[in-house]
Amino acid sequence: MHRISFFICALVFVFAIRVEGQPHSPVQDSLVRITSTEVEPDYRAPWNSGSIGRGVGAGFVIDGHRILTNAHVVSNSRYLTVEREGDPNKYPATVRFVAHDCDLALLEVANANFWKNMKPLDFGGIPALESVVSAYGYPIGGERMSVTTGIVSRIDFNLYTHSAIDSHLAIQISAQINPGNSGGPVLQSGKVVGVAFQGYSGDVAQGVAYMIPTPVIRRFLKDIQDGHYDRYVDLGITWSKLQNPAQRRYLGLKDDDRGVLVNTVIQAGPCGKVLQQGDVLLAIDGHPIASDAFVEYEGERVQMPEVVERKFKGDTVTLDLLRNKQPMTMSVTLGTVSPYFMQGHSYDIRPRYVLYGGLLFQPMSLDLLEAYRISDLRVRHFFDFFVTDQLYLQHPEVIILTNVLPDPINTYLMAFRNDIVDEINGKKIGTLQDLARAFEEPSDRFVIKMIGDDPPLVLDAKKVEAARERIKTRYNVLVEQNLDEQPPPKPAVAAEDKI
Amino acid sequence: MRTLALVLSVLLASGSLGYSKKPPIATQKLAPEAKSAVQAKELSLVRVNVTGQPFDYFRPWQKKAPFSKRALGAVLPHDRVLVTADLIANQNYVELERAETGDKSAATVVVVDHEANLALIEPNDKSFLKGLQPLDLALDTVVGDKLSAWQLEATGAPVVTEGIVTTIGITRYPADVADFLTYRLSIPMQYRDNSYTVPLVKNNKLAALLLRFDPRTQVMDAIPAPIIAHFLKDASSSKYQGFPSLGITFFPTRDPELREYAGQKTGSGGVYVTNVEAGQPAAKAGLQAGDIITAVENHEIDQNGNYVDPLYGKLGFGNLLTAKVYVGDTVVLHVTRGEKPLTLNVTLEHRSEDDYVVPPYNIDEAPSYYVLGGLIFQELTRQYLKEWGTNWQKEAPQDFVYLDKFQSELFPEGHRKVVIISQILPANGTLGYDDFSYLVVKKVNGMEIHSLGDLAQAVKKPMDGFHVIETVDDPKQLELSVDEVAAEAEALQKNYGLPASQRLP
Repeated sequence: MHRISFFICALVFVFAIRVEGQPHSPVQDSLVRITSTEVEPDYRAPWNSGSIGRGVGAGFVIDGHRILTNAHVVSNSRYLTVEREGDPNKYPATVRFVAHDCDLALLEVANANFWKNMKPLDFGGIPALESVVSAYGYPIGGERMSVTTGIVSRIDFNLYTHSAIDSHLAIQISAQINPGNSGGPVLQSGKVVGVAFQGYSGDVAQGVAYMIPTPVIRRFLKDIQDGHYDRYVDLGITWSKLQNPAQRRYLGLKDDDRGVLVNTVIQAGPCGKVLQQGDVLLAIDGHPIASDAFVEYEGERVQMPEVVERKFKGDTVTLDLLRNKQPMTMSVTLGTVSPYFMQGHSYDIRPRYVLYGGLLFQPMSLDLLEAYRISDLRVRHFFDFFVTDQLYLQHPEVIILTNVLPDPINTYLMAFRNDIVDEINGKKIGTLQDLARAFEEPSDRFVIKMIGDDPPLVLDAKKVEAARERIKTRYNVLVEQNLDEQPPPKPAVAAEDKI
Repeated sequence: MRTLALVLSVLLASGSLGYSKKPPIATQKLAPEAKSAVQAKELSLVRVNVTGQPFDYFRPWQKKAPFSKRALGAVLPHDRVLVTADLIANQNYVELERAETGDKSAATVVVVDHEANLALIEPNDKSFLKGLQPLDLALDTVVGDKLSAWQLEATGAPVVTEGIVTTIGITRYPADVADFLTYRLSIPMQYRDNSYTVPLVKNNKLAALLLRFDPRTQVMDAIPAPIIAHFLKDASSSKYQGFPSLGITFFPTRDPELREYAGQKTGSGGVYVTNVEAGQPAAKAGLQAGDIITAVENHEIDQNGNYVDPLYGKLGFGNLLTAKVYVGDTVVLHVTRGEKPLTLNVTLEHRSEDDYVVPPYNIDEAPSYYVLGGLIFQELTRQYLKEWGTNWQKEAPQDFVYLDKFQSELFPEGHRKVVIISQILPANGTLGYDDFSYLVVKKVNGMEIHSLGDLAQAVKKPMDGFHVIETVDDPKQLELSVDEVAAEAEALQKNYGLPASQRLP
């Protein structure tokens, strides 16, 4: 289930502050302090490596010599170290698996000394409402462990702000969680019941913190068993509740509080060829769907997507539905809905772009729009309706002219900034690759048609060629294009000897 | 569409002329020739008191609370008074008041042009303006001229402030429909409670009317006499036509690559036509997107879209098609298409606000609506979007703002409206629908809906006892029971205080 909305969360890493003296607790044998040096990509000068920053978070040891933490603690990291209580050493670590859609990551430490006397923590279930839990970590920096307690306040689907498009089960707790708690365990009766991961900044809400519950953690650990993280799967549909009596009668439904109405079927999603707008979903894997989209599942009343959430890529789900008043049963092979990815944050990749004649072309994404603070109405429309209006069918990528690096050959082209490329020399441009290929065609002149009623943008190929080195030198452009979403160089491999 | 606005700074509309916190600046001394006229007799001004009551587009069956505005009108020949159109927008009652005696007369609006922001009113008592010298127009104002803003103290004593014309150009007027000639002045004008409309005078002749003023920078835009003259001439004909429009957007041709691509190898000027609106005068004359307009009549157009005006020098060529010509006139456009020169004769028309898919303004006009079982249907208008406040372009539902802004691109054929469900009143018939809002309607009972009239027809042909409403947005479909809608109609109207269930355009 995806939503495009944002809320302010205080997931800020803070530098360590030295504190002395603290009593010993068994959790200290499992808790680790993670320091990440990260390089954040620069979408406005995508040929640069980006800005270097450093942050501190928490993590904990689980079975199999693994450290579990939040994805956001280690995102974009170039060098990672972990420390444990009562040991003066910093140990280099590497990211083994990272799941940005549920904000979890697994780290490895090669140095055997690190694992001496470290005790893995076990997982519990979903804690009861009002039961007491304790959160461990390094809030607002600090080198010694901190513990706060609180109760379980609410168990509900919630937006995971790390990606900004994924919603999963999350547990709200009243224990104080602050930057530096991220990735730390939340315990009840000695077992992990969650990973602290997000909260609100003080001016939005107070005493509201969230942890990732064990069903989400277990799913992550199971997904990676094959050595690869496949992401969450999704039905790729929108639906509405069926609470209106006249609508129920029109659709041929009984007065039994069952069924939800399929609104939009995302063609690129797993239901693209299976479901239709107007279908009424009555049951999922045999669990009846109530008219408010809840299902009874393992003794709990949970939202319908929860059934899909527990499944993996390639699994199937059975849907009982009513189409034109006829009952039928469909099987859906689950997968990801890739058009959504553009609407969320990306990590551990280099921005893709093409610079031609001083014109910077970049594919639309949440990170791009935020970097440039683009408020252009057409661009916002393409972003907001990219999936639901199936705009991705025509434009798998929406290529925006994001900037013009001024030069005599493009001095009149500033007005085209924020325009979306439609065609080059009569060829439709659906991807950045298409655009790069179009500029490689032998031609005296490139006529770029933008969406909307601006005149064509005309470039003289010879003049562009003559200006190439000049523009590269003047603006310190190291590389003129990056077409592949290739990951950045792997962090340095952890040395066997301790540093 | 990129408009070549002369002015980039944001100015306050004349209606929000605020009191400046700065110490008041002494009013300028009158020019000698004006002084004798002012002191000898009263200024040719009357107070205009207006009670306005706009319609409420969020609750289209009602009007908002009434409020009063005070202004000054310029007395013109034939017992008429000139004011801005904003002043009398959505008026319930207009009254004229003599400054020195306080005598009052009810008044009637004779002609109004919201696009040019001008209106003529006349007192119901024909002898009311006796003794006031009507103002002639001063049409010769140029940059550097001094104009006097005429205001009145509460006592009726004149307040005269002199300002200097710094720029004359084409700017967008507040109705956001067209660009017209505008004087820009630097003027230290003070706030008076009658500042809604302020006449600007040169040598005792009316030179302009206040359009907008920013008290902080003391920059004023004014509606110039040539636009007023056009309005008055049109108003003196049997039917007011309004200013003509071509129905095109254009782009400068400064870029040599674009010039070459468009075949503009010879000559130095011209603008690139980016869009020609179907059904509008330019389209009827055969103008096409991609053409280069090189001249209008015998005025050559430069790469930025300026011609050389005998009075003002370089000026946007829009002036040639607004201030200088009338509806029904034919103007000659000199065009290059490819490399071929063409001459097109355009017969000018005015585009009325109702001709747009999303009308740019609706003033003095009750909004139409249709209530069906708690669903409130309306036609999308910019007036409705403006209910979100001055920042409506960011605050209003973004898909509606998109439909408004790109209407000519999205609906090139025109001749339709966009019907929306603006709100859903909770009722038995709409139970469970109250989460939905701001839906664009596609079909009702299988019929395409392009107006509220279409909707009223479609509702007459329900499908098997249901009204079936299809929307562009999720949930894509809503159904109502015909019997339930009928049974609940009266109670719903009573419950929500709706005087009627519909008002069709």
